[in-house]
Amino acid sequence: MTTATRPGVRARWTLIDIVVVVYALVPVLWILSLSFKTKETLTDKSFIPTEWTFQNYVDIFSTNEFPRALVNSIGIALIATLIAVVLGTMAAYAIARLDFPGKRALVGVSLLIAMFPQVSLVTPLFEVERSLGLFDTWPGLILPYITFALPLAIYTLSAFFREIPWELEKAAKMDGATPAQAFRRVIAPLAAPGVFTTAILVFIFCWNDFLFAISLTSTTASRTVPAALSFFQGSSQFEDPTGTVSAAAVVITIPIILFVLFFQRRIVAGLTSGAVKG
Amino acid sequence: MGRAHRGPGRRGRRWRVALGAALVASPLVAACGSESGGTTVNVYYATEENFDKVVARCNDEAAGRYRIALNVLPRGADDQREQMVRRLAAGDDEMDVLGLDVTWVAEFAEAGWVAEWTGQDKADVERGTLQGPLDTARWKDKLYAAPKNTNVQLLWYRGDLVPKPPTTWSEMLDMAADLRSRDQPNTIAMTGAQYEGLVVEFNTLTAGAGGRIISEDGTRALVDDGAVKALQALRDLATSPSASASLSNAKENDVRLEFERGRAAFQLNWPFVYAAAQENPAVAKLIKWAPFPAIDASKVGTSTIGGYDLAVSAHSRHKPEAFEAVKCLRDAESQKYSAINSGVPPTIESVYDDPEMAEPYPMRDAILDQLKKAAVRPATPAYQNVSTLISTILSPPASIDPDKTAQRLRAELQDALDSKGVLP
Amino acid sequence: MSGKELSEGKKAERRLGLWLCAPAALVMLAVTAYPIVYSIWLSLQRYDLRFPAERQFVWFENYVTVLTNSYWWTAFGVTSLITAVSVAIELVLGMALALVMHRTLVMKGLVRTVALIPYGIVTVVAAFSWRYAWDENTGYLTDLFGATAPLTDRAAALGIITLAEVWKTVPFMALLLMAGLALVPDDLLRAASMDGATPWQRFTKVILPVMKPAILVALLFRTLDAFRIFDNIFVLTSGAQETGSVSMQTYNNLIRGLNLGIGSTMSVLIFIAVALLAFVFVKVFGAAAPGSDDGGKR
Repeated sequence: MTTATRPGVRARWTLIDIVVVVYALVPVLWILSLSFKTKETLTDKSFIPTEWTFQNYVDIFSTNEFPRALVNSIGIALIATLIAVVLGTMAAYAIARLDFPGKRALVGVSLLIAMFPQVSLVTPLFEVERSLGLFDTWPGLILPYITFALPLAIYTLSAFFREIPWELEKAAKMDGATPAQAFRRVIAPLAAPGVFTTAILVFIFCWNDFLFAISLTSTTASRTVPAALSFFQGSSQFEDPTGTVSAAAVVITIPIILFVLFFQRRIVAGLTSGAVKG
Repeated sequence: MGRAHRGPGRRGRRWRVALGAALVASPLVAACGSESGGTTVNVYYATEENFDKVVARCNDEAAGRYRIALNVLPRGADDQREQMVRRLAAGDDEMDVLGLDVTWVAEFAEAGWVAEWTGQDKADVERGTLQGPLDTARWKDKLYAAPKNTNVQLLWYRGDLVPKPPTTWSEMLDMAADLRSRDQPNTIAMTGAQYEGLVVEFNTLTAGAGGRIISEDGTRALVDDGAVKALQALRDLATSPSASASLSNAKENDVRLEFERGRAAFQLNWPFVYAAAQENPAVAKLIKWAPFPAIDASKVGTSTIGGYDLAVSAHSRHKPEAFEAVKCLRDAESQKYSAINSGVPPTIESVYDDPEMAEPYPMRDAILDQLKKAAVRPATPAYQNVSTLISTILSPPASIDPDKTAQRLRAELQDALDSKGVLP
Repeated sequence: MSGKELSEGKKAERRLGLWLCAPAALVMLAVTAYPIVYSIWLSLQRYDLRFPAERQFVWFENYVTVLTNSYWWTAFGVTSLITAVSVAIELVLGMALALVMHRTLVMKGLVRTVALIPYGIVTVVAAFSWRYAWDENTGYLTDLFGATAPLTDRAAALGIITLAEVWKTVPFMALLLMAGLALVPDDLLRAASMDGATPWQRFTKVILPVMKPAILVALLFRTLDAFRIFDNIFVLTSGAQETGSVSMQTYNNLIRGLNLGIGSTMSVLIFIAVALLAFVFVKVFGAAAPGSDDGGKR
């Protein structure tokens, strides 16, 4: 490991790392830059704004449309995440710890769903939700989100649960703890990081969806931000809403950036364990 | 604010329906309960500058009997239609007045989504309204909408470069070639992107050659000789050195901008370009207009009718108020206001004669002339499919092979009319 | 006595397992199984919401219509092309990024953090960024490459769609591969190195064989995912100039055209195509689906 200290090697890795950083950040910085451009300089094609303005952000929050979409996005993603993680935790615990018939079938089915072409569901869901009155409502989006998030939750969680030293639970009970205490004091703290990681991954998944969001909504009552973005209006009939779309895009990217900044290790652990070790 | 209150209320109602609760609160009670009395007429209309002021005036006129709430639809015509259609198909009763592009009336009427105009309301709308725009609001001899504003494309040209405007398509191409040989701006800008704008040009040219794309009753695909000539004309322009470099990507505003940047000698576009040009004195001085050139010299000034009609949703719970609101939103005073402040041509003939129109609307006679010999786009409930297919098959215009393209159009349009084909 | 108790315990465990899984299984089945059956039923009908009076049962007529239609096959070709090209590029770049994230000696945390941004960012947001970047009025990239309106040129547009897809998913691919990379024993690499193996030989002879299962799983995931491509195309071109995918076309026929019969037929066909793809991966390449071996291999 002495090679690590050689300046040439360090420089080479630094260079490679910079390439990666540029690769990942350029499109994000570009949309950020667009969001700060004034109407007049929007078409100057410069990567860095020549005139800075907050007007686009003021604009998107001055009408009802975007704040409503933001509330919808947050509410729908949070509720779907909560339910998916609860149901997923129960199923994953069973898969990791218990022996029961149908276990393989469940794993198989959720695998199938993970790979399912979502567009195949749009037609029937549109029809079913229309007749049930679920079309253009929160539950109308939450249901499909839970469904497609569950496989992700089950894989990630069962991978985490297998890592937990369950003998500790037994030991705690021998020390006189009740099952509830053993769970609360010993197992819950060990399982919490996994559950939390899963919740982040599921939230990102729900936050990201576009196909269901544009197909199963029609008004501000339930339209989420990704769908609302493609329906933005310019201030006149012939003006592109480039600036406001960019500002809105930046706003919904903020939570993702925060997650990545604070929970990088967890997200990496979650994705790698769920995907391969499963 | 009205909308903000309404959202949760409606969602709540749907939830209860979903749960199959036997004691569902009556929809009427649920919706009115969330509002502070009075009837709200929800108008869904495309982005139009200053239309909110027209709405405000009509709210004053209504004097509290009802309140019109304006809901702005997305910019793209396809997106507008998509939003309304999806809600109507889902039986949404929150929409009262719908702003329909003139090409959608047949579809909405056939599907039973818009209410027929009858009796006094019908008579009120028909009185004084120009024939061409009125035809766009009819389907199977019944009136389903009230024409709000119309639109026709004119030929806009640089007065400094072109002393006498061309009358035929080929003359226009010759003039451009001549300008080009003298190294002067010579581009002919036209909406050639793969969208409805291209269909408009094709329809205009077909009518200007005395042809038809689809039979009058909307059941058979004709694509006759006139249409073949129109295809040739599109190809001639697209392959000429005077075609705009971004022809196959240009929509209305791109066409306008290209002209304002001084690169083009001609643009085929809607009258909004005149109002827009006034903000730029250099352009305002040079821009001139003439009737749309035709393939057949006797048909100069034949152009496709555009514009919007206002219809009342069949699901609306406030139909009487909605009809009344529409009549106000499109009456002569509203139309005059919109014409002067937003540049959209009126559908009521007398408005053109108003003295106040003279200054902001110097091209009003040209518009009125064209409206009287205008080409209506094919009326069929499957218009969306027809339009999508035409714009797909004609894109990019440079690759048109008149006879072959016509053959393809005939076959695929027939399937579309029977609603059998696949949308690309 | 004790034997009986054991089986009682076993029974209780079974019951608990079933109860715990039931809610998840029910939700997944309710939202997928019933709609799939319903979709098949709709696909056998002529059902256009704009012509409600003409609804009728037509057996397989819709399938004939779609399968003999050139637009469908164009979309199918476009989807396959984008899938194949983007997954191939992603595999190479993903492997490179995985090696960087796994082995870099400086700024490891930073690299791993920024690499997660494309993974986490909303696809539509990224797509808008690319669209504005290549737009001839606003884009910084159009001038850089001397292009006029690349998004309306078919080949260029397909290239940009692939680029957007690749940019977004390389980090995901890299993370899946990194998990496999972590399984490569260091002493094996050291031994190979001592035997005089070049870095390239170490990569092909030692690392790749150990990683084969991880690579196959990553390919399986990404191929099936890429085949569903929708968001990027919707924002970048809306499918103009024959750049639409099968998902895009299904959406157009269903939501824009309101033709439930044709739309459902396309849904079923996509489902069959994806099932075939998965079958080929699992049976021919022997990709072990994650979880299917109950983690026994560890």
